[in-house]
Amino acid sequence: MIVFKTVLKILNRCKMPIFIYTIFLVFFGGFNMKTQDDALGFNASKPDVFIVNEDIDKGITKDFILYMNEVSHIVSLKKEEVDDALFYRDVNYVIYIPKDFGKDFMLGKNPQLLVKSTGDYQASLASMQVEKYMRLANLYLDINKNEDALLALVHENLEQQADIVLATTLDTSSLDKATFYYNFTNYCILAGCIYVICLVLSSFRKDVILKRTSVSGMNIKKHSWYLMISNSVFSLFLWFIYVLLSFLLIGKAMFSFHGLIYILNSLLFTFCALSIAFFISSLVRNKEAVNGIVNVIALGSSFLCGAFVPAEFLPKFVINIAHILPSYWFIQTNEIVKSLEVINFSTLKPILINSLVLFLFSLLFIGLSLKKNRRV
Amino acid sequence: MKKIIEVEHLTKTYRQKRAVDDLSFQVYEGEILGLLGPNGSGKSTTINCILSLLSFEHGSIKIFGEKMHPNNYAVKRNIGVVFQDVALFDELTVYDNIDYFCGLYIKDKTMRKEYILDALKLVGLEEFVKFYPKQLSGGLLRRLNIACGIAHKPKIIFLDEPTVAVDPQSRNNILSGIEHLRKNGATIIYTTHYMEEVEILCDRIIILDKGKIIASGTSDNLKSLANIEEKITVEDVDMSDKKLEKIKDLKNVENVLYCNNTLVITYKKGKNNLPTFIDFLKSEKINYQKIFSERPTLNDVFLELTGKELRD
Repeated sequence: MIVFKTVLKILNRCKMPIFIYTIFLVFFGGFNMKTQDDALGFNASKPDVFIVNEDIDKGITKDFILYMNEVSHIVSLKKEEVDDALFYRDVNYVIYIPKDFGKDFMLGKNPQLLVKSTGDYQASLASMQVEKYMRLANLYLDINKNEDALLALVHENLEQQADIVLATTLDTSSLDKATFYYNFTNYCILAGCIYVICLVLSSFRKDVILKRTSVSGMNIKKHSWYLMISNSVFSLFLWFIYVLLSFLLIGKAMFSFHGLIYILNSLLFTFCALSIAFFISSLVRNKEAVNGIVNVIALGSSFLCGAFVPAEFLPKFVINIAHILPSYWFIQTNEIVKSLEVINFSTLKPILINSLVLFLFSLLFIGLSLKKNRRV
Repeated sequence: MKKIIEVEHLTKTYRQKRAVDDLSFQVYEGEILGLLGPNGSGKSTTINCILSLLSFEHGSIKIFGEKMHPNNYAVKRNIGVVFQDVALFDELTVYDNIDYFCGLYIKDKTMRKEYILDALKLVGLEEFVKFYPKQLSGGLLRRLNIACGIAHKPKIIFLDEPTVAVDPQSRNNILSGIEHLRKNGATIIYTTHYMEEVEILCDRIIILDKGKIIASGTSDNLKSLANIEEKITVEDVDMSDKKLEKIKDLKNVENVLYCNNTLVITYKKGKNNLPTFIDFLKSEKINYQKIFSERPTLNDVFLELTGKELRD
């Protein structure tokens, strides 16, 4: 009990970094969730379009302007303000309808619309809308020279819309949030475990303290065992806090089977982080070095394995290197859970393999730290 | 008297060098045994072997009649150790440090609290219970180091140079604390460089050199081994070679040393050679600033036995 009590007292002296890691998690987790809410809102998007019409406002010219009014947001500007408006993105697309455009079109002269655009995705959308209309009009012009009939056919075609039904039953928004959150816990759990365990163990393993403990009335094996239990309890507590926070931040998605896999995966990773921390603590006795090591290992592996930046954005060679890090397998499982629709053995198999790899990593680090401690 | 520690033919080799060479001695209940010797003489190695921190090639060690080994926790529970290096947790307060080390021996919380207060009182740290080690001076740290080693009221205490780099106030406090521990019945093994501490505290002294016992006994026994009885020192004195020769011819003079205007004369016999020597200085019209006489010290004994000073 005295060992556990002393570990708690030492922990109390180094609680600040743990708070900071947790604040990072809540802040970045919360911030990401907000941006994901915006990104996944599927709001209809209309480009800002300005039309300069030098033709007569009738026939196909009038119809085209009405169509553009429907599918885009028509902006009113002065002609001389066009370039400034494009520069400041007040307008995405400018269409110049030349004189006699309608007449020349019906005569099959294929008149061209002049355009200016910002080149962004809103401008591309406007360009697609213009192209769609003009392609249909040209198509029907070959079979029908009557303007009213042509416009009727164009309208009939434009009004046809495909019904989109989302077949998935997944709450993708919540699962995306959960994946981001648990990927971020990779950093917090790893940094927290390494920082605290290295600090605690370096205090207990100071040569003079170790000497005094060795000559004491307490069995040294029991003492080491108590130390291990104390550090494990701390790691579990840290994991529990992060799981609890995930329920508060993510909500109902965490009560699903997917939520359970996230939790179990993070528990396994906590076990692995604990083994890594034990191994590092057997190598490092200098307290001043602990901060640097936390940054190199926790921050480094989080970046390399896609905890902060999605793995799809990382170069292939980085992903290849990441395979040798436990964080990669933890994050991969989170990514799989995100798109896990059907739950059966074959869909869970990759998760089980990742978990096995994590478990083997844990055993490896425990083995290495035991070997190192025996040598010491 | 009851034997508490029995060391028989202890031999320990470090990298082909004999650190402890066929060492045998006993420590009796309630005594303070001083282990005296220069650096590398084998004091700490001997203690580490007794505490089972080091293995050894030959010999046997018994404590309370039981063979000592790393897993003899029944014996270890009755031992307290104060190492030369301060062994404390920087993250714990004075009280918590003592609590931890005492807690390795005593589980009962109430009893432990009582013991910690006693230890704090013994080393005079009652006012510093809430201080962290970094807030303490070197002397106070040493006192805390001692408190951590003896708080569980052990029957045997090993004190390995506990007063190194300590201010006079803390040193006096530590020495009176050790006296107090002896009065409470503890058996103490005390290693140090400071002969005056050994002379004040120890009932018996063992002088070690190159891993061997070169002399042992009480302070007076050891001093009798020195081939001198009195040492007279004259400071700020001008001497010619002729006068030095005259001094050498004086009765009972063993040796004459003159260096940096200081004259040291050692006498083989007689304890009151000072008046005669002052008369000699007067008759020779030799002026000086200061003159004093000393009895031989343990350092003189050590010098006599090994040809080198204790602090070498």
